[in-house]
Amino acid sequence: MEKMIDLDEEDWLRQAKTILKKKFGYRQFRTGQQKIIQDVLNGRDVFAMMPTGSGKSLCYQIPGYMLNGTVLIVSPLLSLMEDQIKALRSAGEMHARALNGMMHARERVRVLRHLRDLRFLYISPEMLCRSDIREALAKIKISLFVVDEAHCVSQWGHEFRPDYLHLARIREQLGHPACLAVTATADERVREDIIRSLGLHKAAQTIMSVDRANIALVVREVSSDDEKMERLCTLLRSTRLPGIVYCASRDWTEKLAQLVHCKLGIRAAFYHGGMEALDRRKIQNQFLDNQLDLLCCTNAFGMGINKPDIRLVVHFHFPATMNAYLQEIGRVSRDGQQGLAVLYYSPQDNQYPEGFINSNFPEESFLRHIYYELDNGVLTIKNKDQFLNDLQERGSSETAARFIYERVREKPVHQSFQSIFKRSRSIIEQRRSVLLRDLLVMKNYLAATECRRTYYLNIYHESPGKKPVYCCDRCGISLADFDQANFDDTVIHREQLMNWKERLPYIFKEGDRSMQ
Amino acid sequence: MFSEALLLFLIRQFHGERTVSGIYHLLKGKQSSQSIQDSYLFGVKPFFHLCDDLERQSFQKLIERLHDCGWIQCVNSKQTTFIITEAGKNKLNKSGIEHTIPDGVKITNYVTTEGQFWLKLQLLIQTLSALRYHETAFLPITKQPPVTEAIRRIVLNRSLTRNELAHQLYQELCRLLTHIPRAEADLFAAQFSGYQMIGLTMKQIADESGKDLYECRMLFKSALRRLMADVSNNKSRYPLVASLISPAVSSLSNTAAVTLRLLRSGLSALETANHRNLSLSTIEDHLVEIALKEPTFDLSEYLAEELEQHIVERAHRLNTRRLKTIKNDLRENASYLQIRLALAKNTLR
Repeated sequence: MEKMIDLDEEDWLRQAKTILKKKFGYRQFRTGQQKIIQDVLNGRDVFAMMPTGSGKSLCYQIPGYMLNGTVLIVSPLLSLMEDQIKALRSAGEMHARALNGMMHARERVRVLRHLRDLRFLYISPEMLCRSDIREALAKIKISLFVVDEAHCVSQWGHEFRPDYLHLARIREQLGHPACLAVTATADERVREDIIRSLGLHKAAQTIMSVDRANIALVVREVSSDDEKMERLCTLLRSTRLPGIVYCASRDWTEKLAQLVHCKLGIRAAFYHGGMEALDRRKIQNQFLDNQLDLLCCTNAFGMGINKPDIRLVVHFHFPATMNAYLQEIGRVSRDGQQGLAVLYYSPQDNQYPEGFINSNFPEESFLRHIYYELDNGVLTIKNKDQFLNDLQERGSSETAARFIYERVREKPVHQSFQSIFKRSRSIIEQRRSVLLRDLLVMKNYLAATECRRTYYLNIYHESPGKKPVYCCDRCGISLADFDQANFDDTVIHREQLMNWKERLPYIFKEGDRSMQ
Repeated sequence: MFSEALLLFLIRQFHGERTVSGIYHLLKGKQSSQSIQDSYLFGVKPFFHLCDDLERQSFQKLIERLHDCGWIQCVNSKQTTFIITEAGKNKLNKSGIEHTIPDGVKITNYVTTEGQFWLKLQLLIQTLSALRYHETAFLPITKQPPVTEAIRRIVLNRSLTRNELAHQLYQELCRLLTHIPRAEADLFAAQFSGYQMIGLTMKQIADESGKDLYECRMLFKSALRRLMADVSNNKSRYPLVASLISPAVSSLSNTAAVTLRLLRSGLSALETANHRNLSLSTIEDHLVEIALKEPTFDLSEYLAEELEQHIVERAHRLNTRRLKTIKNDLRENASYLQIRLALAKNTLR
């Protein structure tokens, strides 16, 4: 394999460290980063599994300053791109841009015109599938092809994105730059899938432990919703914040935010996908800016959120997979300080994940009817968005609609839709059984009598390392140790200025100037 | 509670002649000719687009509550149309809501552009605040491309430095807010986001101030409309804020404005329909909207003055604005379009 830059080991390390210090303000590499960066600089294909909060992005950002050309980062989510670019800008990097479907055509033209000047370009897989974008990209030098959230390439992953399947081919068309695939959570099967699907050649692998030793784990079984709410209030009355409470439904987020605010006087708000975009953004920004102590939300909140000082994640309902659970509690204490994850469950909570699994797929009679309508020309798939919309109007969930679209798209040209019904049905059964198996693992975790950490590390075929002081409820910890009183956090309670004559001068930094 | 009184007021005005969806669309500000006409027809123009963030579910809950309290009663089997009961009338009278409606909401000239203006204003404030504090990155409160493009143009294409720009916006806003009743101005500004001072959502403002959510929405819209009127009438005093107001010439919806242009160029309604590839009934909707909002446009081609008088008289005698009732009475003497035009023209006088 050809080396991408010609430096001996000491030289590159010194250079990389200088960049780390100057640009990003860190003195030391964290575990895993140094090896990954070295492999990348050596021009190898790299697969890296790093838990959330362990500094994934530095692994391509630092090479970005050492290689000639543009680092192309494929990212599945708008909010992720936005957050990354915001972080780079804060570090003084002005040559970072994004290309995605949500932006103004004029903005897109501006980005394409200045491609050559960019050090980092974030792009959605949909954009990358467009031929005009690819042609423009083919004209510049891509120094590194990064696939973020690489588990999206695997249909076994919990967030399968069909567009990711084209990435290997696109990489060829862009002159086969070296590839770095990163993900936070992937079991063995998903890892193999990623390496195969992206065509990684003799990949250098760095697999880091999924263990987050600085997060203590507590699971509490309760008998009713009322008891749950009571326990939650007791916990929140003293425990160190800011925190997040994950709920399975929108109604619950609103109910809990209200409860906590009224009963405890905590600055709490709710956040879910049914809110106006503007309100969502305000609440998110308030949380990031420490104007809120607690956010009650659905899993719509979290992706691409970079807040290192979240101290508590509570699950008011448990998620459907261990992967999702680890990802959600992984938002605690990214700065390395001690954090806490508490999960409450009661027997009736089973309905939520099961309902979630079912909503992923169409019911048999529904699917049969849709295929019938397709055969008779009542429905067509000429326009993807229109088709998805039509299905949802007929009562399908969004994920089920996407599932049907994928099936229908695979259909051989000269066959009827009816003819692929059996195959679709068996795919549903297959997928459903995978999800049910994942759910069972999650439930077993709740019921486990041994150490929680040991249990989930086993799932990822890891053996536990040194036991942290605060491990889990099974190993014995006291919630009192997480009391706000034990930490000298200086919580700045910035007054929300309701008086415009104070608010406006603050916003415009007009402090001493007199009003006119 | 304000929300209850507001809904009782609207239900009384609609008098069982529209379903509750009609009221919902009115508050939401649905850009359909039906909703726009209704706002004129039932004397509820200020309430159009008053609660553009209203959720269907919470609206429905409120209706159910009014029903449970016995203030409204159902008049159709599908449970979609209501009229106010005697108890409801008492409740409404006691609330004195008609006197608490702020004058600002009655300014309806800018209703089609107020949503975009508001987003642009918030984004401009957020952007200039970030620049003022040398914050190199922030998460914008909106990503709507037309809004971000407009702000980008303003911030980049000025001869002023960014600090001067921020100072100017500050001064213009101070002057504008001074002209607005204090409670409205506070509520308005509490939504502004800036450096480490993220704006509150309407719900948070309601919680904070102890006011009803609907009342907050109304005070906000009152402030917004007063401010837009002030700016439009005194463009030279507020050049920066004025540049955020789109030059919408009339309050017509965009599509009705296109139809009006074609009609003015001499096309007939049918020719306009063919030309625009729209159905004739859509063009007729536009005609009614034009009758409401462009009173100077001559519609005698569609409705002779004599017939107009006749329809108005009958409607008055029947004491209804329900088209079907009037049509049944007039039979073949008048078309639905003519009845709608007659009602539209005469709500204005």
